[in-house]
Amino acid sequence: MANSPMDQLNALVSNMFATGLLDEQFHQLKTLQDPSTPEFVSEVIALFCDDGIQITDELAKLLEQPTVDFDMVDSFVHQLKGSSASVGALKVKNTCIQFREFCKQKSRDGCIKTLDSARTEFYDVRSKFQTMLQLERQVQGFSPK
Amino acid sequence: MAFKNQGSAAPRALVVEDINVDRVILSTMLGKFNCETTIAQNGKEAVDLFLEGKTFDIVLSDKDMPVMTGPEAVAKIRAMGATEVKIVGVSADLGGMEAFMSAGADEFIPKPMTLGDLEPMLQEVISKKNMSG
Repeated sequence: MANSPMDQLNALVSNMFATGLLDEQFHQLKTLQDPSTPEFVSEVIALFCDDGIQITDELAKLLEQPTVDFDMVDSFVHQLKGSSASVGALKVKNTCIQFREFCKQKSRDGCIKTLDSARTEFYDVRSKFQTMLQLERQVQGFSPK
Repeated sequence: MAFKNQGSAAPRALVVEDINVDRVILSTMLGKFNCETTIAQNGKEAVDLFLEGKTFDIVLSDKDMPVMTGPEAVAKIRAMGATEVKIVGVSADLGGMEAFMSAGADEFIPKPMTLGDLEPMLQEVISKKNMSG
């Protein structure tokens, strides 16, 4: 028996919390959505995803330079940490905290290794966010008015 | 929870924030209180708004931003004589509280901020506006 979109959505969100991908801040974000701001969560998630792609790409370029500008790297990581914290993307946030430590130590290898982790975590949560939004649209499509 | 500020002049808020996601979230929160919100992407843009003669009822400023930090901007805004505006420092860096308060901020809220954090401050601003007519 196929699960309904609502069942799939609930299972997905539960899994994201259970695996530490999301934290309570995501619930806080959802409380800000109401009839006057019906697209708020999808807008914020889209912004997080777009910014995250730009930031991780920029970090890769910066870490390829012969001389790494660790202040600039730290500045970008700070942005990713901030936005991930604000949407409740816990694993990404925690990886960024480690990343900033390597920036302080001016460790290129540490930064490169942590960027790989950050990218993996980011693309994982991005993928799940996209599925979440698709399922929410399906649920809204079937909801009685 | 009734947020809407019905029948009163809209509070004028300045959000000073370089992170896109945080700007949208904070603006949406302020919208729940019917605020007229202006955005500055760093401390210098905020200071420039005050230099242009713009006035606000409340300023919510992040700490670490390019060009000019939040505490630097707060110090300059206060030095300009803008002593009435309520200034709130906002940062995930708990050490930011000392930096903001030393610069002349009225309050500090750790990130991520919630509506519950914001409500009492905005109610205070709204009450003040209503009393001044």
